[in-house]
Amino acid sequence: MPYDDPEPDDPQELVGVELPGDESVTREMAAVFADEFAQLGLGRAQILALFRKAEYSGAHQAWRLLGEDAVARMVDESLAVWERFTVVVTDRVEDNPEPEPLTLFRRRS
Amino acid sequence: MPTVKNWQLGREMSYPYDAKYPSRQFAFVFNINRCIACQSCTMACKSTWTFNKGQEHMWWANVETKPYGGYPQWWDAKILGKLEEANPGGQSWSGKPADGRFGPYGKFDGQTVFDAASRTLTPDSARVLGYLPTDEEWNSPNIYEDNPVGKRGVRNKLDETGAQLPVHNTWFFYLARICNHCSYPACLAACPRQAIYKRPEDGIVLLDQAECRGYRKCVEACPYKKTMYRGNTRTSEKCIACYPRVEGTDPEANGEPMETRCMAACIGQIRMQGLVQVAEDGTWAEDRHNPLYFLVHEAKVALPLYPQFGTQPNGYYIPPRWVPRPYLRQMFGPGVDRAIENYASPSRELLAVLQLFRRSNRIIFRYQIEEGPKIYEGSLHGRKVELFNDTVIAFGKDGRELFRTTVEEPVHVRPNIHANSI
Repeated sequence: MPYDDPEPDDPQELVGVELPGDESVTREMAAVFADEFAQLGLGRAQILALFRKAEYSGAHQAWRLLGEDAVARMVDESLAVWERFTVVVTDRVEDNPEPEPLTLFRRRS
Repeated sequence: MPTVKNWQLGREMSYPYDAKYPSRQFAFVFNINRCIACQSCTMACKSTWTFNKGQEHMWWANVETKPYGGYPQWWDAKILGKLEEANPGGQSWSGKPADGRFGPYGKFDGQTVFDAASRTLTPDSARVLGYLPTDEEWNSPNIYEDNPVGKRGVRNKLDETGAQLPVHNTWFFYLARICNHCSYPACLAACPRQAIYKRPEDGIVLLDQAECRGYRKCVEACPYKKTMYRGNTRTSEKCIACYPRVEGTDPEANGEPMETRCMAACIGQIRMQGLVQVAEDGTWAEDRHNPLYFLVHEAKVALPLYPQFGTQPNGYYIPPRWVPRPYLRQMFGPGVDRAIENYASPSRELLAVLQLFRRSNRIIFRYQIEEGPKIYEGSLHGRKVELFNDTVIAFGKDGRELFRTTVEEPVHVRPNIHANSI
């Protein structure tokens, strides 16, 4: 994202990119994000927040093009399947040693 | 020029040196479907390895927005253009994707960066077709991409509405990249001082700073543009695959091989890295229960990035489902359709292996599945879905269990000791 306005005589300036793509592609992309983040264990509010945030441009782009309702429907559809379980990770026992008790250092009086 | 076998291309190709293979090879799989370009990997690498004076432009790990982004700018379009120029209309594949470990994507009939060099470049000593990016191309790793900046004159604050973002009414996706630690590195082939070497124990490609004289032949040759020149030391540098972690000599590793910083920092859990066994002929030795081997050779969902360059890269990608196929076929080869089909309708084992991504910072050498009962059957996006409460157990280098995953319990409270484990 340039800070300044484009300079027409700048040979590095991007002048245009034309690529195939339509609403169905955006819809598919949004559905994939909904699926993937539902599989990661995110809830409805978290996934929708990701779509709403401008920082996550791919998801946000889809949210702006498709609208909140359409995105919410996709998220609900994904969660209907993936929210049924949460992945539980159990580390090897040695990886969780009991924390050592704090040692208190007192100034000698 | 000697010839070597390139299993990704399904044929022999020319390479300046005789084939030599490591016992194990550093390799990784990135699941692009999950990447949101948060740049955590980028910053993890930057803050570990390239924060010094003279390294400002260096991003050993980067995430770029495809199709219009690139670091350096237009790196792939430029090298694809050069290959097309060297072999007009001939950069194509024949045959069909097959099941064997040699030529799983068919046969590439075009020219690699090594083939093209021997036919088109002068003098004869030129070994690799490439180009040297300009300073401008290195300068702005995410220029024109979808990284919102703040308003002018306002520091440390992102634009709240994203109103300054350009609107791209088209498809795009995020491509995370690091050095591919290729089996036939173009940087190594091009170095006139033989300062670049591939380690026999893990296939990591390193650049000896004492031998380098900064000729930048490696920068010119690497088709992925992952070697970079440092002006204040007058030498080139590249990704070192966080080798102390991979060796297990990092203080945190406690002797066990660990994944790299960029892998460990991935909050989207798109990344898995490991060490695969290499057979005498340079193909991956059959190792059915290594998760990387499974993803590349059994499930066939992970594909090499631009295999037609001919360096036999060891970075693999699960391609994004929504992107038009011709673009993906150019980027990942003819295996794309099968990969997307297999990923969109995952097998029971693939679903289990996908659960291994980012559950531990230790390198997984083997997995085992204990089958459990079916917990759901239904449809999603018109496809049949079956879920099982399988237990997936991951094992480390010494065969000891690293962790296990199940899918039944509703809550996981992460222990305090791992609260900041990256």
